[in-house]
Amino acid sequence: MIKVNENSPAHWAIRGLGGALLIAVILWVPTMDFAGIGQVNDALLIALAAMSLNLVLGYTGQISIGHSAFFGIGAYATAILVKKYEWSPGWTFFVGAIVAFVIGTIVALPALRIKGIYLALVTLAIAFMFPKFVGWEKLEWLTKGQSGYDSVRYKDLPDWPLVGPFPKGQQGRAEFQFWLSILVVAISYLVIRGVVRSRVGRSLIAVRDNETAAAVMGVHLAQTKTLVFGVSAAICALAGSLSALRSGTVTPESPNIQVVGSVVFLVAMIIGGSATLWGPIVGGFFYFYLERNLGDWSESGPLEFIFGWSKTSPATMIFSILLIVLMFVAPFGVVGLLKRWSRKVVQIVPSPVVGSVDTKAPVAPATAR
Amino acid sequence: MERLLQIIFNGLSQGSVYSLIALGLVVVYRGTGHLNFAQGEMALTGAYLTWQFDQWGIPLLIAALLAMVCGFALGAATEFFLVRPLGKKSPFAVFVATIALFLGLNSLDGAIWGGEAKPYPNFFPNDDDDFIRILGAEWRYERLGVFVVMLVLTGLFFLLFKKTKLGLAMRAVASNSESAKLVGIPTNLVLMTSWGLAAAVGALGGSLIASVNTNVNQLTMIVVFIAASAAATLGGFDSPGGAVLSGLFIGVLETGAADYFPDWIGQDLKILPAFVVIMAVLLFRPAGLWGSSRVERV
Repeated sequence: MIKVNENSPAHWAIRGLGGALLIAVILWVPTMDFAGIGQVNDALLIALAAMSLNLVLGYTGQISIGHSAFFGIGAYATAILVKKYEWSPGWTFFVGAIVAFVIGTIVALPALRIKGIYLALVTLAIAFMFPKFVGWEKLEWLTKGQSGYDSVRYKDLPDWPLVGPFPKGQQGRAEFQFWLSILVVAISYLVIRGVVRSRVGRSLIAVRDNETAAAVMGVHLAQTKTLVFGVSAAICALAGSLSALRSGTVTPESPNIQVVGSVVFLVAMIIGGSATLWGPIVGGFFYFYLERNLGDWSESGPLEFIFGWSKTSPATMIFSILLIVLMFVAPFGVVGLLKRWSRKVVQIVPSPVVGSVDTKAPVAPATAR
Repeated sequence: MERLLQIIFNGLSQGSVYSLIALGLVVVYRGTGHLNFAQGEMALTGAYLTWQFDQWGIPLLIAALLAMVCGFALGAATEFFLVRPLGKKSPFAVFVATIALFLGLNSLDGAIWGGEAKPYPNFFPNDDDDFIRILGAEWRYERLGVFVVMLVLTGLFFLLFKKTKLGLAMRAVASNSESAKLVGIPTNLVLMTSWGLAAAVGALGGSLIASVNTNVNQLTMIVVFIAASAAATLGGFDSPGGAVLSGLFIGVLETGAADYFPDWIGQDLKILPAFVVIMAVLLFRPAGLWGSSRVERV
């Protein structure tokens, strides 16, 4: 095992390597064809929604099964403003996020009084009602009822500075969507990181671990919980806005707007690792590609041997088994597991404070005066 | 008056199923302090099992009893293999496990019985003239039967809670499991029984709702679970009586809402008024109507 001092050149080298790898992957994605980029875009949506859920569930321990509704708020905000009021899609992100923030805080208000499973059930109810609400015939003038909106998108793609215009057609749209998603994910990541590493973040974890103790220690429960729930809802709405632009269609039947969406975000977050910054991102990709390919994989090889009898795709079943196994072996998900393993190879230790006692020096015997 | 009475009859029958599922949720919550998100899907599995046994030629009543036995085993196994070991790690792990079980059981049912709806046999006579008329409103036997079964089962449950040694042990574990263990109650066995009983009641509830709907499919129980969890929330999660009454109340409220405001609420949004009531109640009584609020220690 190697010990590396925090902020030493070696530590910065590791960080630099990680950053370079990340940038290389990000630059590599747009070289794929539009179908490949489209898949990455879909995975980014789930990752972003899982990130927002992580803020509430992973860090605060407030169980929310209502995030599909916030996702839907973002998607509908974008669809309605673009198609009905002919806004430029970029501005709709702000509106969706603000609306979701307000509704999120309103939902969180009773959450100040109710907690645990009661909150879980209230949010479940909201997730359940949302698709029915937007499909309601009295709201048809706004949401277009069951048929919903289609071809929500940018009319013209802007040009890159220096590099020039995007390619024409689907390829260009996919590339543009990718960069847009990366931008939104990066900003959300920084916001979440900021929240988590600040005083607010510390109080969040305190609330999660022991609410009563946190309150006694001076954490303002009401403020903290409401604020975080609102921020989380806003970020989830951003994912919804992105999804409207990605697929172009927004209907009450869209899978991520249904209750199932909340469960998908939850599964992605848990597989990746709750209460870790990178967990939901890794989990989003993990979930998306696994979900996409499990159907094919289970038609041959060992998975076919085990699940060949199944009348429907065994993907969900495999996920549930995976979740249960994860809870036994790695409750903090893939990223948590990787962290634990990497700690056996390289350990980052805080660098000794300058001028402090060197612990390696032989201690003077107590008798010597 | 006739219309109101009709709504009350239909609502009570619909609400009976919610009460049964909610009763299961409460029994589990009192014992282990966990919300069993898989309760609805356990009931769905029970409903499918009843259907399967019926297909094999077993008389329907015995088929339903067999499904309850299987449900009991499923619930007890869940407690033994998942909830108990994971509960030692963290409540979060148990929450995730019940969500996983919710997904897993649902897709397992789909994997075994396929995605399309199965026509479901009827427990009670349902010819055109099989109803009793009270003040002009008709209560069909198939619906009345569900209500009666619920009453009988709830009655049995209360006898169990109040009169038997097992019930006493269950109450002891619910109120303080540490002390219960100290006075020699086999807490683990009691908890396993609680989960088993909850799943068994659920299996019957699932079979009944499938029979009222005349078919069963993978989505049957999701709506029922949401209504049942609403009932448990309204009643207070540790009050079986509250859960049963609230289940009936929600059944009547949603039937009435759908009937009186077909344009504004209709079948799709019929549960909305119930949610509004629940939110309002929770604001003033966070532990539900009959629930006891917990005192926390640091």
